[in-house]
Amino acid sequence: MYSRLNSVLHVAFLAPCRSIAMVLTFCLLTNIGTALAERSIGHLKTENTETQQQSTLKWILDRLQFQGFASQAFIATSDNDVFGNTDEGGSFGFTELGLNALFRPLPKLQLSAQMLSRRAGKDNTGMPRLDFAFLDYRLYSNETNQFGIRLGRIKNPFGFYNETRDVAFTRPSILLPQSIYFDRTRNLGLSSDSVQLYGETSHAKWGDFTVQFQIGSPNVDDSDTRISLVPTAPGRLSPDISIIGRGLYETPNKRFRFAVSGIWVNIDYDPARMDRFGSGDIEFSPIFISAQYNTERFTFTSEYALRKFRYSGFNNPQYDSLDFFGESFYFQGEYRFNQKWEALLRYDLLFTDRDDRSGKKFAALTGAPAHSRFARDFTVGLRWNITPQIMARFEYHRINGTGWLAPLDNPVSSETTKDWNLFAAQLSFRF
Amino acid sequence: MRKRNTRSYFCILLMSFFFAATKEVTAEGNYRIVAHPSVNESSISKNYLRAIFSMRLRTWQNGLIIKVFVLPDDHSLHHKFSKEQLNLFPYQLRQSWDRLVFSGTGQAPTTVSSSEEMQNRIKNTPGAIGYLETTYINGEIHVLQIK
Repeated sequence: MYSRLNSVLHVAFLAPCRSIAMVLTFCLLTNIGTALAERSIGHLKTENTETQQQSTLKWILDRLQFQGFASQAFIATSDNDVFGNTDEGGSFGFTELGLNALFRPLPKLQLSAQMLSRRAGKDNTGMPRLDFAFLDYRLYSNETNQFGIRLGRIKNPFGFYNETRDVAFTRPSILLPQSIYFDRTRNLGLSSDSVQLYGETSHAKWGDFTVQFQIGSPNVDDSDTRISLVPTAPGRLSPDISIIGRGLYETPNKRFRFAVSGIWVNIDYDPARMDRFGSGDIEFSPIFISAQYNTERFTFTSEYALRKFRYSGFNNPQYDSLDFFGESFYFQGEYRFNQKWEALLRYDLLFTDRDDRSGKKFAALTGAPAHSRFARDFTVGLRWNITPQIMARFEYHRINGTGWLAPLDNPVSSETTKDWNLFAAQLSFRF
Repeated sequence: MRKRNTRSYFCILLMSFFFAATKEVTAEGNYRIVAHPSVNESSISKNYLRAIFSMRLRTWQNGLIIKVFVLPDDHSLHHKFSKEQLNLFPYQLRQSWDRLVFSGTGQAPTTVSSSEEMQNRIKNTPGAIGYLETTYINGEIHVLQIK
């Protein structure tokens, strides 16, 4: 049923979207070309070629920004592995590097791209990949209202942290609350090749309201996602039409921030040769509610997610019976002692299946440990802003359950430990 | 053995909390919102100013590209400006700029290292906006009134 609906969506949305994208790109390129040509002609009349080249270079540099970051973490665990072999004295297995370019050739047009290298556990080898690359065209703009379109590979807008989750400076801690921002299926949530419409309106008294809506196809082409979603099936996953939307409200002074986001991801299972599984569909449709309160010294943040999973068409009762809701929640307090030092306190809760919070039903059915179906993570942390460009972080987690542990790094679930501790330190640099 | 290992890290972490001493920001003299003379607006509203410094607006009403200049995050005039004029704490500004830059949906303002550099950039960059202490303001710089 989903695949039929999806093929209709494909025809109805993606085909026109692609042609619109092509036409828009063509128009924009001609526009930039004309702008450059006009400049060159203007200069030809008055100046020689060398200064003309210099001024073209200056014109480009005036409109171009580069940013980058580099973070290295040390992680030690009492038991279980997180980003490397961490339970035998610790590991330096978590590295994040990024570089982006933001180019605004016309006032209404921005071209943005970011390369990202992430080394974290067996699924993230550090191989650089294109994190985002899209064009953003402002269709309408005045003092209080903005409306525009984005085309290309776009970061998925959900929750407070997802779009910048790999930039240590933008996170509240070294590890984001794993109940919401899973690192093991991160590629699924990270970015997607899509079309996004966005609108912003601001009011002096009532505040700012931002809405983003996008339609496209998610990234599912990695082994951690496959093992997490279809652990015993040999075939491959391929993306299908997916929809993401977020509404964000902020008071004028951003004291209160409030967001509701929803995702409707569809993934197809393509059976391998001689596969006992049929060509199945996975529907994953979480809803997120996010709230934040800011004062000069305190920031309180809380997010809740209700995550719907539904498997169908696998011709296998073990999978086709999967139709459940997962539940995630965290509450976090940050305190700024001064510009240099900040402290963090957080309680983070995850239930893979909200109708089986203890995991006992799952354990009886599969023989896997019950503690693999939940996680309660209590975190304390400290952030030290050495300069505005250099930051160090330290944090300690006491964890009950292994619900968000990556299966690639911990392949035998019966060998995982229910109660465990994690210490992490990180040094991060930006420019 | 392993358990003791992470527990000792926890103790170090706890101890470092006590070393996190507080330091207050010292206030500076009078300042104004300033712009390049090409910005032909004499006064702007607080909401307009907030939209500009939040990097949501890309052009002035006459079509000129807006170039935003700020002092470093830990500069006392930056603190004063963001609290008094924008009603935002500097960390909130930095967070919203980071969200724009690292999601690719906007650009960040240009950070200058000192008031001298701010003065220099404002008077030489068409479309520029920033803030300056009154002693740095001369005839080459346009002062914007806040409505």
